Amino acid sequence: MGYNLLEALNVRVVGSGDRYLVLAHGFGTDQSVWQRILPLFTPSFRIILYDLVCAGSVNPDHFDFTRYTTLDPYVDDLLNILQALGVERCAYVGHSVSAMIGILASIRRPQLFSKLILIGASPRFLNDEDYHGGFEEGEIEKVFSAMEANYEAWVNGFAPLAVGADVPTAVREFSRTLFNMRPDISLFVSRTVFNSDLRGVLGLVRVPCCVIQTARDVSVPASVAEYLRTHLGGRTTVEILRTEGHLPHLTAPALLAQVLRRALAR
Amino acid sequence: MPTSVTAARQFLTEEAARALDEAVAVARRRSHAQTTSLHAVSALLSLPSSTLRDACTRPHSSGYPSRLQFRALELSVGVSLDRLPSSKSVEDPPISNSLMAAIKRSQASQRRHPESYHLQQLHSSNNNSNATGCSQTQSIMKVELKYFILSILDDPIVSRVFGEAGFRSCDIKLALVRPPVTQVSSRFSRAHCPPIFLCNLTDSVSGRVGYNLMFPRQEDGVDENCKRIREVMVKKTGKSPLLVGVCAMEALRAFTESLTKGKYGILDDDLSGLIVISIEKEINEFVNEGNDEKMGLKLKEVEAVLEKSNGSGQGGVVLHFGDLKRLILDGVLADFVTSLVLKLTGLMEVYGRRLWLVGAVDSVEIYRKFSDKFPSIEKDWDLHLLPITSSKTSFDGAYPKSSLMRSFVPFGGLFPTPSDLRSPISGRNQSIPRCNLCNEKYEQELDAVMKSGSTVSVADQYSENLPSWLRMAAVDTSKGEGVAKTNAGESMLSAKVLGLQKKWNDICQRLHCTPTFPKLDINPSVSHVSIVDDPQFSTDKKQRRGDDLSINESLFPKQSPSRQVHMQQNFLQKSTASISCTSKGRNMNFLSGLSLAQQTDKGVSCFHYPQQSLSSSSGCTPSSFVPPVTTDLKLGTIYASTSQGSITAKSLNHKENLRHFSGSVSADFDANSETTSHQFAQSPACSGPTSGEQFDLGDYKSIRKVLAEKVGWQDDAVSSVSQAVSQLKHRYQSSRGMNCKGDNWLTFFGPDRVGKKRIASALAEVLFGSRECLVSVDLSSQAKVGQSNSIFECEELNGYDVMSRGKTVSDLIAEQLRKKPYSVVFLENVDKADYGVQNSLDLAIRTGKFPDSCGREISINNMVIITTSAMTKGNINVFCEKKDTKFPEERILGAKNWQMQILVGSVSDDVCKRKDTGVWVTAIKEASTSVSANKRKLVDTAESSELEKAEAQEREHKLPRSCLDLNFPVEEEDEGDTDTRSGQSKSESLSESSESWLAEFFRQVYKKIHFNPFDFEGLADKIVKEISTQCERTVGTGVVLEMDEEVMVQIVAAAWFSEKKGALEDWVSKVLGRSLAEAGHKYELTPQSVVKLVACEGVVVKEQAPGIRLPAEINLK
Repeated sequence: MGYNLLEALNVRVVGSGDRYLVLAHGFGTDQSVWQRILPLFTPSFRIILYDLVCAGSVNPDHFDFTRYTTLDPYVDDLLNILQALGVERCAYVGHSVSAMIGILASIRRPQLFSKLILIGASPRFLNDEDYHGGFEEGEIEKVFSAMEANYEAWVNGFAPLAVGADVPTAVREFSRTLFNMRPDISLFVSRTVFNSDLRGVLGLVRVPCCVIQTARDVSVPASVAEYLRTHLGGRTTVEILRTEGHLPHLTAPALLAQVLRRALAR
Repeated sequence: MPTSVTAARQFLTEEAARALDEAVAVARRRSHAQTTSLHAVSALLSLPSSTLRDACTRPHSSGYPSRLQFRALELSVGVSLDRLPSSKSVEDPPISNSLMAAIKRSQASQRRHPESYHLQQLHSSNNNSNATGCSQTQSIMKVELKYFILSILDDPIVSRVFGEAGFRSCDIKLALVRPPVTQVSSRFSRAHCPPIFLCNLTDSVSGRVGYNLMFPRQEDGVDENCKRIREVMVKKTGKSPLLVGVCAMEALRAFTESLTKGKYGILDDDLSGLIVISIEKEINEFVNEGNDEKMGLKLKEVEAVLEKSNGSGQGGVVLHFGDLKRLILDGVLADFVTSLVLKLTGLMEVYGRRLWLVGAVDSVEIYRKFSDKFPSIEKDWDLHLLPITSSKTSFDGAYPKSSLMRSFVPFGGLFPTPSDLRSPISGRNQSIPRCNLCNEKYEQELDAVMKSGSTVSVADQYSENLPSWLRMAAVDTSKGEGVAKTNAGESMLSAKVLGLQKKWNDICQRLHCTPTFPKLDINPSVSHVSIVDDPQFSTDKKQRRGDDLSINESLFPKQSPSRQVHMQQNFLQKSTASISCTSKGRNMNFLSGLSLAQQTDKGVSCFHYPQQSLSSSSGCTPSSFVPPVTTDLKLGTIYASTSQGSITAKSLNHKENLRHFSGSVSADFDANSETTSHQFAQSPACSGPTSGEQFDLGDYKSIRKVLAEKVGWQDDAVSSVSQAVSQLKHRYQSSRGMNCKGDNWLTFFGPDRVGKKRIASALAEVLFGSRECLVSVDLSSQAKVGQSNSIFECEELNGYDVMSRGKTVSDLIAEQLRKKPYSVVFLENVDKADYGVQNSLDLAIRTGKFPDSCGREISINNMVIITTSAMTKGNINVFCEKKDTKFPEERILGAKNWQMQILVGSVSDDVCKRKDTGVWVTAIKEASTSVSANKRKLVDTAESSELEKAEAQEREHKLPRSCLDLNFPVEEEDEGDTDTRSGQSKSESLSESSESWLAEFFRQVYKKIHFNPFDFEGLADKIVKEISTQCERTVGTGVVLEMDEEVMVQIVAAAWFSEKKGALEDWVSKVLGRSLAEAGHKYELTPQSVVKLVACEGVVVKEQAPGIRLPAEINLK
């Protein structure tokens, strides 16, 4: 099972160093999204890369629509991978949905994680009475129906929006990985993500966290980073990147790498 | 013989007749001759409260959103209707035989089900007050709408149409037969009523076994949250789940509901027979009314049940206390809470094994408040905090995909159907017998792994050669090679055996068990061939090339047929008799448009089964499709082929073909195609049509001559470069197939940037026939931005900065390399390379492939890579002159391309005294600044941003340069060098390693060539002389020409940079001469006048003189 899982999710361990570092990609990308970050860390870390089961690079038949209905099975996957690799302690960098997964994983196995670095993380995307998640329920439904109606068109519209900064290659790259996802899976996962609400459980996190947020992110309002800082149970810092967009690892890898390095050093 | 509408109507109930009327109307609108079942379907779907529509949604079997699927259905119905021939419109198109037959069938089936018929009649008469039809004509069996629809669905045309939209008509039929118990739209309720599957028809538990016709539903609608709660409950300690999260209450409610209903699978044997008792209401009552009597009663009840179950040893109580928030109270009520908590604690103590407390809380903070009051609560109640993140869980399942949808999903059809998929995640293992061949292979490889004890299998070795990113790609494409190669080797050894097993299973299955790939029509001989095709054939170069080609082709099964044919032709041309059968077999594959297993040179099977991502229509083919063969056939093949002119020609030809779509398909492919043939060291016949002047590359002298012509001042360097290049060529010719990594790498040390560059471009011309074949990148500036106003940078593309944003330098280089596969690559200031580039270069020099940051590789074996460094380290030959140079190279390099102007003044005393020659150079700082002050302001406002940028660049540029000053002794220089590097390097902490990297890098370089500093002094002297003669000639001897030092620098720089012989002289005589003459006219120069030549700082040259970067006009003031 362990091996199969490693294979199915394209798990790779690269780099040399004593410490393990997990790089987990977010929605609409796959592990290749870290390629610009990766070489900067391979000398000092053993980096574990894997694809979320929803990623386009994973055989879509592995995506069990009855299983991946919440984020918990994703957490299972992550923990299973780490177990199969015999990792006892690692630092974790998660982007977007993987940030959520990381939070949940660290709640379940606090000893496993030395540090969580959450990029573009949000415990809840929908607005609430005293919480600004950035999306109204109605908007989301519109997005979903747009995805249903014409996935390609949606991808082409969404990718530049998410990337934010005017970086054509990043937009291209993100569109590619986004389009690689099978439309139904993509829709299903985004529903799962939007249905998730981690606000109540943030306090259970004991692992020190670093929240990395870009100056302007279409998916995550700036207030969310602050919310995370005050509500996460562990020692938490917030880093604001001087760039725009939801995917700093594509648009500003050098900048992000610096911050990551700093965060990992702490 | 069609039946008239009225005749048909009498068989139908009013409802059904209405539907029929609609169908007739549809047929009429479309002016079809007859009303068919399709029309009926179309009408039924468009009815406002359509039974059919409902039925379609209910099975909920689609992996796709129902709305989308409906659109697909409508579309396919529409298309089918369009296909029907239209005729002149008839008033009421009669009912077609097929539809009539359907009506008859429905009549019959209704007769067979009298009860349901009766029921339905009753039902409809209840609903429909005017359903008097049945009593009126009892004699004729009137067909209910339901049965009408059912039999229409039987119609093959109709079921085909539904099938196209991804519906299964049997599903719909079932949905029609069994109307939902309650029509609640909530997702949850849906999860509660078991999905209607075929097998569920018989109901009963046994039916559940058969439901795997579909995707296995995990536990009949048990959602993820329930599963987790159950997991907590079966634990020994900490078994009372306290759900935490905003949705926790909902999840808890869902759980208790399903528990009360006694749903299957929620709790397994251990936990069966649990009773849920909720004290939520009682707590509420107390909190609101202060009434705690009921609570006491309830707890008594609980205790009684527990007593009983304790006695019997089974069953138990799940005590549901609801939202924990309610228990946080102050004042008098707090006492109550305390007593309640104590009571519960007591119960837990006594009946711990049979009692579970369940509750929910919005957030941890609230729980913390609670546990502050009752510090030991977690232990007392045996609580386990369970994060709940989502409440709406089970939605759309995954099901037979619509064929329309499938077109969205590239290659969707090639994946095994879900039912026979072995999902590694669910951990089911199946043993698949391998065929003999594969088994053998597997055993061999297993043997190898076991014996060596190392973690490297053949497959790994092969992929070791790939750069890490390609390795990932390989994982992506060929699952078989999987993860085994990761560095966490030891822990994986045992897993690897399994992996091998699986790999060969997979391979075997893919190759030999055709059923899993329904469309893959491989005949045995083909698969046989591809298996045999092993290292023993690897000596056969042509065969290998054949393989390569076929890989290339099979990688793009979707390319247009015409191209495929084209490719095949090429391929066939080249295949010799010995492999003709193979090629035939292959051709079949190409035709079927599927990829097949290919053997790489190393004998490792590599399976490119079509992946979904492959045909992402955006046209960017992902990196995962780099075929893992590439360069290994490079030299040997080439030289084998150069000996046979015809083949080379063909391969060239072929290369062209490949190129045709390399641009549109993918860059990797491009890189690939290069490997088919071509070397820079090819014989003249192959060196390409572009080479106007052809050189005998072997001839050292001729190269030297050309280089010396371009860079006359670097004698030593020119001769060593020509020597190196001719040696290079010689080595290529003599060593076919020899590993020559790093052989085509040269490094130029020392100063004279222009000289180095000039030599590089001359080499490009010599070797590849055009100066365009030069890829030039300065690694010292991260983002290569053209400095529009510097003499040296203005040749760079101005749009460069736009292109380079968001790209790493490696990517930029890779992009250039891809564009110019045969070129001289000129990488300046390699010592300043950032980490990414270092990495890439490292790999490139070792493997002969330059990886970009995506892991795509570009073969550089057809290139000459020249790296430069201003360092003179480790070089004894270059003597650093301590002489005070007036014009250090950095200063010249920083020269600006300013407009010049002439000022006329009168001689000042000191000038008079000093004056003996006509021209001298001074720093006329005040003058130039004061003159151009306003101008600069203007410019500043106009293009301030641009200037600022340029200036910032300039500063950045100057900083490192200043340390390369030749005036400093070597040791100092080294120090300075390191400093700046660490200052500049993007990843500061890595800079210490770059020193050692550099040393290692230079060690691998084939040849190091040292450049001498350019004699700027001499040049300056020459210029002064030139100008003074010009001055004398135009304005007479008495006049003094004063030149600003900046101007001098500018002229020196331009002269240095200029490639045209005599360009400077031209400029002096034409431009300067004319201006001086004009000045003479205007101001009537006397021997007392001083003519000053100054730069208008901030004003960029608009028009350039031909052949030299100097202004074509000099302003006159």
